[in-house]
Amino acid sequence: MAPDRPPPPEVTLRGLSRTFGTGPARVAALAATDLTFAAGQTTALVGPSGCGKSTLLRLVAGLDTPTAGEVRIGGRTPAEVTRDAGLAMAFQDAALLPWRTVRGNIALALTLARRPADPAEVDRLISLVGLDGFADHRPAELSGGMRQRAAIARCMATEPALLLLDEPFGAVDELTRIRLNEDLPRLWQKRGATALLVTHSVAEAVLLSDRVIVFSPRPATVVADIPVTLPQPRLRDVTRSPAFHALVDRVSAALWAGMAGDRPLAAE
Amino acid sequence: MTTPARPHPQPLPRRGRGGTSLAIHAMAKGRGWGAALPAVAALILWEAISHLPGATYLIAGPTDVAIWLTANAGLAARATAVTVKAAALGFLWGNLAAIALALLSLALPRIERFISTLALLVFCLPLVATGPILRVLYGPGEGPQITIAALAVSFTTYLSLMVGLRAAPASWFDLVRSYGRGRLSELWRIRVHAALPYLISGLQIAAPAAILGALVGEFTGADRGLGVLTLRAMRGLDLPATTALATVAAAVSIAAYASLGALGRRLSVAPVPTLLAPLPEGRSSTLPSLLRWLATGVVILLLWQVAMDAFALNTFFAKRPGDVWQFLMAAPDAATNRATLVAAFGQTMVLALPGYIAGLILGAGAAAAVVLWPGAAVTLMPLAIALRSVPIVTTAPLIVLALGRGAIGTITIVAVMIFFPTLVACLNGLARTPAQVRDVFASYAATRWQRLVHAQIPAMLPAFFASARMAVPAAILAATTTEWLATGIGMGNLMALTASTSAYAMLWSAVALLSVTAAMGYVAVEAVERAVLRIYGPEQLAR
Repeated sequence: MAPDRPPPPEVTLRGLSRTFGTGPARVAALAATDLTFAAGQTTALVGPSGCGKSTLLRLVAGLDTPTAGEVRIGGRTPAEVTRDAGLAMAFQDAALLPWRTVRGNIALALTLARRPADPAEVDRLISLVGLDGFADHRPAELSGGMRQRAAIARCMATEPALLLLDEPFGAVDELTRIRLNEDLPRLWQKRGATALLVTHSVAEAVLLSDRVIVFSPRPATVVADIPVTLPQPRLRDVTRSPAFHALVDRVSAALWAGMAGDRPLAAE
Repeated sequence: MTTPARPHPQPLPRRGRGGTSLAIHAMAKGRGWGAALPAVAALILWEAISHLPGATYLIAGPTDVAIWLTANAGLAARATAVTVKAAALGFLWGNLAAIALALLSLALPRIERFISTLALLVFCLPLVATGPILRVLYGPGEGPQITIAALAVSFTTYLSLMVGLRAAPASWFDLVRSYGRGRLSELWRIRVHAALPYLISGLQIAAPAAILGALVGEFTGADRGLGVLTLRAMRGLDLPATTALATVAAAVSIAAYASLGALGRRLSVAPVPTLLAPLPEGRSSTLPSLLRWLATGVVILLLWQVAMDAFALNTFFAKRPGDVWQFLMAAPDAATNRATLVAAFGQTMVLALPGYIAGLILGAGAAAAVVLWPGAAVTLMPLAIALRSVPIVTTAPLIVLALGRGAIGTITIVAVMIFFPTLVACLNGLARTPAQVRDVFASYAATRWQRLVHAQIPAMLPAFFASARMAVPAAILAATTTEWLATGIGMGNLMALTASTSAYAMLWSAVALLSVTAAMGYVAVEAVERAVLRIYGPEQLAR
């Protein structure tokens, strides 16, 4: 809304490592990762469960501190960026406050960012995510998909230049997910934000991003870096195009290649 | 949680996250030096205070306590054994009764409401007055102590079991039913397992309560035990003895609490989310609630009458509902009787209410303060958990000695009695803020204050109100016990007087009035709690 909103930042990871525990229980979630995410691009991070993608996102958000290496967001540290609400994160289970209404939850982001909560602006966000008529409902009265949309609206409220999405559509049914996949990217593309998306769905990764990065099992190493060159905006028709399927196949193949040496679930 | 959380893709426990809840769990384990340090600090502070000029007549220090205990080791040990035995038997019977009542409620959901009301009324009995009545019923011996200890434990165990027996997802029951098995299988395969952690935590709360019950029973005319020695020491204004006995009672309570905690860890039961959640609202909505209450009241009066008649108890001391009615309403001097009762009741409430409110506010406030200074939680938690299990009323004589027989002494005792359980409950509630909500706040670099106000205090409210509800009878117990032991006013004094002058009609009237008052207070707080839970903890009402 403000004309002076900052441009989307480039995000760089330099030698980023994170280990948990000590001694024999020591586990490396992320080992010396170097990556650059271009300004204004949406990058999807895919990989097997527990490979460290969420750890990466938490490190970028400043919710966790790296064991070694550093994160730079437009040249600044995550702590500096969070201090002026320069980023927003969407969580797997929406993480709405159960005692606040949809309106209250969205306004909370503005309160925490020390900005005035303009009611008209909050209402605009609510209709943007298609929750008209539910502004005064509490999370318990909403479906999983509606909760996720409220959480996305909360993310957009501060107009962050960097969006971190940790499986934001994980708990949503397939049809709702397809609709959210269509609608929501437009929101952050309009603002012009850099976005990092962690997902388990290969199709979602291809559909939503400009680039897919495939990780190996823990500790996460990059096994493939695949640019997604499908035209924008991507509506659900895209998912039936040969180009889309070719990309999905490439990402899937890379995922399985990363799993090489992994035991099959059951011997046949 | 309404939606079961999906397993987090990160496979590792997030160490250091979830802050206080982990800290509390670790503290509850009472591991080594971390827990010992504040205790040592408290001991030194205690000793120092006892040496302040002017304090020598008010507070005995740890060294005085040690000297008295060494000199009277045999006496103290024998008394402790007597009290512990009574408490243990009461603990056993009370909990068996609670388990039986819980299973009965489960089997006959139609009368669940009635059973829980009955259990509540028993919980609300003013123990100091029940003591003398039991004394004449049982004669000399340990019967009254054991019964009072049993009464003191049954309700909390019943309540935690009623939550625990239902603490399983509906899909588990569907699973059992889908194999064509019935309610017995449900009970055995699911409910028993779901209830175990709740039972253990309930027993943990019950253990100190049993000791408190045994002590109160001994106050009311036993011939042996810690309570008897306490009474004697207090009447003789023997400061070191009173302090030493209170210390022994506290140590025994803490030991009982800790050993049940150890049992829970041995059985590796999970810590329970909300132990004393309010019971679900009655299912039979066919009767309007006023009528239901009336029916419950009538049945309870009938039970009272029948129990007295069944044992053919002497009407001189075993008064029936009709006798109380006669005494308060129909007899020629009924107006005088009423006036006496109401005057004493007023004196007690004027002290119990401010103490209750002060205890709640200070407990919640201290919990919030602890969260703002995170280091404080680690220091304060073990101390608070220890002090929660101390039978505060046994320190009543000391507090009254220190603060005088005026209002301040009684109000302080009531407040202290409520402060520690509230503090512990609120700290647990504050720690229950979901990890992802904390992350939301962190991702906006929210201040500690913002997090406290917008996330943690609202998340704490369910625990706070559960504590406030349970504290209603505790406040009345503390006020009446103090009046009984020390101040010589109010209902406690009235009950002591009538017990010693065999004015049993007045005694039964006092018991009835206080029980009904406590139960009504409990129900009133529960109503507020439900309204709060609808917004702040909907998952606790959905069953």
